[in-house]
Amino acid sequence: MKNLSFMRLSLWVYLAIFFAYLLGPLVIMSATAFNSPSFPRMTPWECLTFEWFSALFRDERILNGIWNSILVGAGTVVLSVAMGLAGALMLTQIWPKLRATYYTVIIAPILIPGVVLGISTLVFWDRINRMLGLGADSWLSNGLFLTIIGQSTFIASYCMLVLVARLQRYDIALTEAALDLGATHAQAFRKVLLPFMRPAIASAAVLAFLASFENYNTTTFTFGEYPTLTIELAQKVRYGITPAISALAFIIVVLTVFAALANEASLRRKELVAAARKKATVEELESGRLKLPGFLSSNAAAVALVVVACATVAVVGTASVYSPAQCIADIQEQKRLETQERIQELRRQRDLRRQQQEQQGEAAPQATQPSTGTGNNSGFGGVFAPGGLSGDGEEGIEAEQEPQGNSSGFGNVFDPNALSGDGEDDGSGN
Amino acid sequence: MPSFLREFFKRNGTGMGSLMLGLVLFWTIGLIILPQLSMLDFSFRPNLPPPEIGGPKDVYTLENYKYLVYGPEGGSQDYNAVDLKVFFRTLVAAICVTIFNLILCYPIAYYLAQTKGNHIRIFALMLIIPYWINEILRAFALRIIFGETGVLNNMLVGLGVFDTPFDFIRNDIALYAGLGYAYILLMIFPIYNVIESLDRNQIEAARDMGASWAKIHQRVVIPYAKPGISSGCTMVFMLSAGALAAPQILGGPSSLWFTQLIYQQFNDNSDWPQGAAYAVVLLVTCILLVLAVMRLFKVNMGDIGK
Repeated sequence: MKNLSFMRLSLWVYLAIFFAYLLGPLVIMSATAFNSPSFPRMTPWECLTFEWFSALFRDERILNGIWNSILVGAGTVVLSVAMGLAGALMLTQIWPKLRATYYTVIIAPILIPGVVLGISTLVFWDRINRMLGLGADSWLSNGLFLTIIGQSTFIASYCMLVLVARLQRYDIALTEAALDLGATHAQAFRKVLLPFMRPAIASAAVLAFLASFENYNTTTFTFGEYPTLTIELAQKVRYGITPAISALAFIIVVLTVFAALANEASLRRKELVAAARKKATVEELESGRLKLPGFLSSNAAAVALVVVACATVAVVGTASVYSPAQCIADIQEQKRLETQERIQELRRQRDLRRQQQEQQGEAAPQATQPSTGTGNNSGFGGVFAPGGLSGDGEEGIEAEQEPQGNSSGFGNVFDPNALSGDGEDDGSGN
Repeated sequence: MPSFLREFFKRNGTGMGSLMLGLVLFWTIGLIILPQLSMLDFSFRPNLPPPEIGGPKDVYTLENYKYLVYGPEGGSQDYNAVDLKVFFRTLVAAICVTIFNLILCYPIAYYLAQTKGNHIRIFALMLIIPYWINEILRAFALRIIFGETGVLNNMLVGLGVFDTPFDFIRNDIALYAGLGYAYILLMIFPIYNVIESLDRNQIEAARDMGASWAKIHQRVVIPYAKPGISSGCTMVFMLSAGALAAPQILGGPSSLWFTQLIYQQFNDNSDWPQGAAYAVVLLVTCILLVLAVMRLFKVNMGDIGK
């Protein structure tokens, strides 16, 4: 019994760690969107601000990227659902000997690295373009066309998998019956098969759009003059990160949570309605007086949905009246004071050292000679250690002049610089 | 017209049949097979300016593959140590990420598949939500956490574990965590799907016979879940070896991923044939590795992707 409760405890610890790993990064990233320092960070918390959201909406490149992503997504959805459906139908009636090979071919794009797909698409259509003798600005080398084609190659495989799962439950006798009753093939397809497949087609379309929206590896080779949102984000993240990206991430997280909760709530509601119908008597059903359960009753997802919606409205409402100017000014004042204190502290140390040096100087007069020349309490005194410290002092002042300076210890002053240096290295490395 | 084609059109009607056939052929041949062959062909050609393509200089050569192994001609070293090191490091790291993911995900997949209740649906929802967020943003989130002034460093320094901030990015810890993070779901779902169909009675029978907890997994659950485990591992391995976003954002400045070399050849050096050759090497090596491991564990290709 003791053993069992130990197992239970370790299971919950494991679950907690797992979901912390999974959701923690998203929560922290969302929180940084509301903190005022211009380097996205959660600690130390400075001021609540909504400035990064307006910075985001002013960003032309992001807005343009969203538009391009929607264009690419729409094209990809149409092409890959069509190809996925055709591929799935073909799988049900292909010659049995060819079936395994065919399945391998259409499933392969899922396993081929996205980079390889992007390159092969680029190389292949470039060659076709050259063979046809078209110029560099023909539609075959258009970024939009190439991106849609490249993404559809593997997204169609995802769609095919979703559609095949539903198609396996389809009774082919239904189509045959329609044909016997005089329908044409197109009519049988449109009126019998398509309605049956509709739920699967809808989920395949959603899946295709999401996969297209977040694709990076393939798109990065094919986008040409149509950088999608993901491409723009990658450029921004690689060359210096700001909380505006966190703001975008927060919006996407909220939209995702909304969609997921709405989906879950409607599923649960359907279940509840079905259960109520089952319990109802025939009279109730016929008279139409069946009392269906309310939208919120015993539907946790729906309750959560309403809560999230209210929270969003509240946040947007606060954002339109709230101004963090006072808080930011306070923080800056505080930082200025801290920096001044540090500078004074440094000066005191320097004076102390000079005094020590002068005492030593009596023993070694050559060493002190230069220091007395430039000496005094300016920032450039000292020959030995104080030289390094004065450098620190200067940087501290510089950092203070920038509004985005840091509030805490000296080490932190250098961190953003060090990181942005990394970013540059990274960028030039790529 | 061959008989199977005639039958196909009779079954689907001429219009619908040709539409279906056209789409499937366009997809399989026009989008999958021909581009790959074209890339393979391209990788054997020298890098020429556009007017010279198809001219007398456009002959097949092994130059691009030699470059990966031996480096530039007349170079100071016998082997292209830099690129080869990146290549093997990528493969080893991808394998490590796969194993890490398997260890992390197997228990949760088992738990989700074998437990009933409403909270399972919430867990499933919580699993799917991160996967809907953009790959770039997920990498960005980890960068915020692992940065030098990030939450993790502040916490560890605050707790007194480290005296100075630890550089997770330069030590590639952020990269491995990011790769593992990106593909968790692809590991969980195949395993979950298989274990869900495992009859609970089998586990209980094993327990009644006196099998220990470890023995049950070793003898009953894992053999049953092998197709799911192998398809999850294959996907995670292929995707992390071919990942580009996470290494670009989370990789240290001095360490490269092999896909980054390919990217450089295409975008910075504009040496497409060289990039294509590297891509072919990556693809072929990964496929061979996956097939070898699958043979080792006696799994069929047909089980993948189910």
